Amino acid sequence: MNAPGQPAPDLRRRFRVMAMVTCAAFAVLVVRLWKLQIGDGAAHLRRAHANLVTDVAIAAVRGRISDARGRIVADNRPTYDVYVTPRFFKESMVARLAKIAGLDHARADAIRGRLRDVSDVARYRPMRLLHDIDRDQLARLETARLELPGVRVEWSPQRVYPMKTVGAHLLGYLNEIGPDELRTRGDEGYQAGDLIGRAGVERLFEASLRGREGRERVLTDARGVRRSKDEVAAFRLGHLLQDAGVEARAGHNIVLTVDFDLQRAAERAVGRYRTGAAIAIEVETGRVLAMASRPNFDPNLFSGRMTAGDQQGLEGDPRRPLIDRTVRENYFPGSIFKVLPALAALRDGLVAPDEKFECKGRHELGQRTFRCTHAHGKVNLEQALVRSCNVYFYKLAERVGMDRLADISWDFGLGSPTGLGLNSEVGGFVPTKEWYHRHWKEGFRLGFTLNAALGQGNTKLTVLQAALLYATLANGGRVFVPQVVRRVEAADGRVLQEFPPELRRTVKIPPEMLRWTVRALTGVLHDPHGTAYDVKVSRDLTVSGKTGTAEIGPQRRGAEEGSHAWFAAVAPAFAPKVAVAVLIEHGGQGSKVAAPAAVEILHAYFRSPDVKMATTSDGAP
Amino acid sequence: MIRAHRFDWTLAVAVVAISVVGMLNLYSATWTSRPQLYSQQFSWMGIGLVGFAAAAALDYRHLARLAYPLYVVGVASLAVVLVVGKTINGARRWIEIAGISVQPSEFMKLMLILVLARFLNDWPVAEGRSLRHLAVPAALVALPVALVLRQPDLGTSLILVLIFATIVLLIRLRRGALLTLTIVGALAAPLTWSHLLKDYQRQRILTFLDPGRDPAGTGWHARQALTAVGAGKIEGRGFLHGTQTQMHFLPERWTDFPFAVWAEEWGFLGSAALLGLYLFLILWALRLAAEARERFGAILCTGVAGLLFWHVFINVGMVAGVLPVVGVTLPLFSYGGSSVLTVLVGVGLLMSVSLRR
Repeated sequence: MNAPGQPAPDLRRRFRVMAMVTCAAFAVLVVRLWKLQIGDGAAHLRRAHANLVTDVAIAAVRGRISDARGRIVADNRPTYDVYVTPRFFKESMVARLAKIAGLDHARADAIRGRLRDVSDVARYRPMRLLHDIDRDQLARLETARLELPGVRVEWSPQRVYPMKTVGAHLLGYLNEIGPDELRTRGDEGYQAGDLIGRAGVERLFEASLRGREGRERVLTDARGVRRSKDEVAAFRLGHLLQDAGVEARAGHNIVLTVDFDLQRAAERAVGRYRTGAAIAIEVETGRVLAMASRPNFDPNLFSGRMTAGDQQGLEGDPRRPLIDRTVRENYFPGSIFKVLPALAALRDGLVAPDEKFECKGRHELGQRTFRCTHAHGKVNLEQALVRSCNVYFYKLAERVGMDRLADISWDFGLGSPTGLGLNSEVGGFVPTKEWYHRHWKEGFRLGFTLNAALGQGNTKLTVLQAALLYATLANGGRVFVPQVVRRVEAADGRVLQEFPPELRRTVKIPPEMLRWTVRALTGVLHDPHGTAYDVKVSRDLTVSGKTGTAEIGPQRRGAEEGSHAWFAAVAPAFAPKVAVAVLIEHGGQGSKVAAPAAVEILHAYFRSPDVKMATTSDGAP
Repeated sequence: MIRAHRFDWTLAVAVVAISVVGMLNLYSATWTSRPQLYSQQFSWMGIGLVGFAAAAALDYRHLARLAYPLYVVGVASLAVVLVVGKTINGARRWIEIAGISVQPSEFMKLMLILVLARFLNDWPVAEGRSLRHLAVPAALVALPVALVLRQPDLGTSLILVLIFATIVLLIRLRRGALLTLTIVGALAAPLTWSHLLKDYQRQRILTFLDPGRDPAGTGWHARQALTAVGAGKIEGRGFLHGTQTQMHFLPERWTDFPFAVWAEEWGFLGSAALLGLYLFLILWALRLAAEARERFGAILCTGVAGLLFWHVFINVGMVAGVLPVVGVTLPLFSYGGSSVLTVLVGVGLLMSVSLRR
């Protein structure tokens, strides 16, 4: 090659221009750096520090629930979950994790699949890979921590119900708070993923049980690995951690009025049948000693990972195990209701205790014939109650009248919820003449009163109301507000709130009449003519009770499954301590099905060590 | 006859300074994640030093003879890459020889400079060139650019085009040609957008124009780099003490964003100083171009100056948020053996020109 000569002079000018453009370009860069580092430097440094800060929620331990004897029926168990941040957890590490945690091929593949499907935005958020690992896996993961960067083990408390299915409806269960609830209850401090009480006491006392979450501020790198104290000092980041922690406050503990031994007995007694309910109430206070609803479920299912199969099983079961039949269903009371027309007549002098009516097995009213179970012959009030004669009460109903019946029903607190507040209780129904005028084409007919006196027609009440009714008979006329919680205690044992018995009203009936009724009803079980005489009662126990067979289908003679079976009782008859109401859906006759169950529950109550049996010397006539 | 000049200490010190600082920075960027990259770069620096010495000792005018053959070798190696090259992250840019990866597109930059210098030197046109005269140079750059785009490697293609444009600036063009070129350039942008750019490359530019678009994707990278740079403030967070760097919030710390590492740890003072070093080197190269004894040498120096300028300007601009994220490395700072070798040989050529001014 030959060099044709020096570059032309104009080239030199170009070089000068190029040099100036270069300087200008670099000046632009420097100006930009000035703005970034000097102008906005403080803001960028803050943002860099903000990258490091993570506030970790410290789970609050939920309050425990214990029964009346101090046994723990709802508790918390620590569970350990394994989290990774997908962005920093390579698929190749899955094999290592699987080996350390002892996962099989299927689990490892499932994890790989989940990691692959993660969206771009979610790649930087922690993802839970394993839930509730056992102690062995935990130990191995802890030891191999350095081999698994980006893998974190987090602790969270899980609700556990040691008694399993016992008391399921009473206790309730927890599940995750929904997005709508988060919006409406946002200011209560709930966060996505929090568990909230859905039913039973868990729901009723959610605010007390919940406690308050704490917060711990930690500094982590981009992979979520927590930085040590030395590093925090070396990078001069200590100021980021000042005043940032909040301690968690444990939830309050709840002590129930319910005795789980009695609860178990009640559930067993009722559980022999397809569906049913039973309640035991302390007569002098209104405290609930047992409330059983069958079928029930295991609330532990809701705490763990509930499979779609489990959920469908519960929701699709035609027996509806999730329904609390003690408070959530209104039933025709049937003959257990007869005490009310009886008392109404006594109170207003409409009948004398020794006045007899004749029962020929049927009662004519206009075109209609009202039937009785037997032809009882001439009976007085006490005999009519003990033998459950319908005809007597048809005649009595004509004297008492619908509205007086409604009046005494309200007096005893029927027709509106008892005030327990549990599981959205319903309040039954008490019809009046005016109601019939409004809701029936032909208006009110006397026949309705006849049915009402027998606890049929449109009169309805809940199992709880039935028990409460008989408790009121037994305690001299005091209608209490039923309670399931005895007291609320702080985590350290301090009593925060006690629940003394709450009186709702006192019935306007002279106590002697109530006592007379209770005494009369001892014949149901102990008099050879009594409808439940066949039921074996423990020799040293006197029980006062009433059978009921509530027809729910068209009235057919000798109908069995078309009726609900009832038995309501108090014991010991002459100084009553406990009132029990049992309902067996489609159970047929109260005497055959419900009475034995109620007596079984009473036996269980009196067998318990701190209940003294009533002896016959306790004022029996 | 060759007139030996004094050894150009200024040039040597400048490039050694940048190399040393680059190694320091690479250490900070890699020691928590990939410490082996540091030792590999060290080896490449050694090889580069040998290359620098060889290029400086050689009379650059001898290279004029080799320009076309070298160009052909370069293009051939680009073709080979497309066929048997190693793929990383969806891009096929490297050839692996005996466990060492080389990136032919890097060397192509020097070969392009050489071939353009040779061609334009042989064919001086007194009254200014028309477009017709640019046909061959355009073809000379189009061929490697097309091959590089196929890898795909938008950044290197861009550098090749920009080197070409820089050299073209030296040529006297007739006014009509200049006008046409401008119009073509204006049209090239939308055409490139729709036909030449891949989707992820389009995404990057869109995210640059509107950072709110994609906070967890590419935009996130750029934002973390900005935060790192800004967090340096005046004096920097200190060597090995930048949280964005050491806590891994800054991605691509040794490829696209080593300047962010530097800026975070050495602050504005360090950043301005480094930019000053690069500026000095580029201006020195331009000065050598002006003082070269013939056109070939001038174009050679201009080409090397252009290579350095565009790399630094685009990379730092990208880190500082002035330009969209394009994969353009920072000379002697970014990890990459082929790049280090290319830059050091290029500076060696500058030294060769300087010695024979």
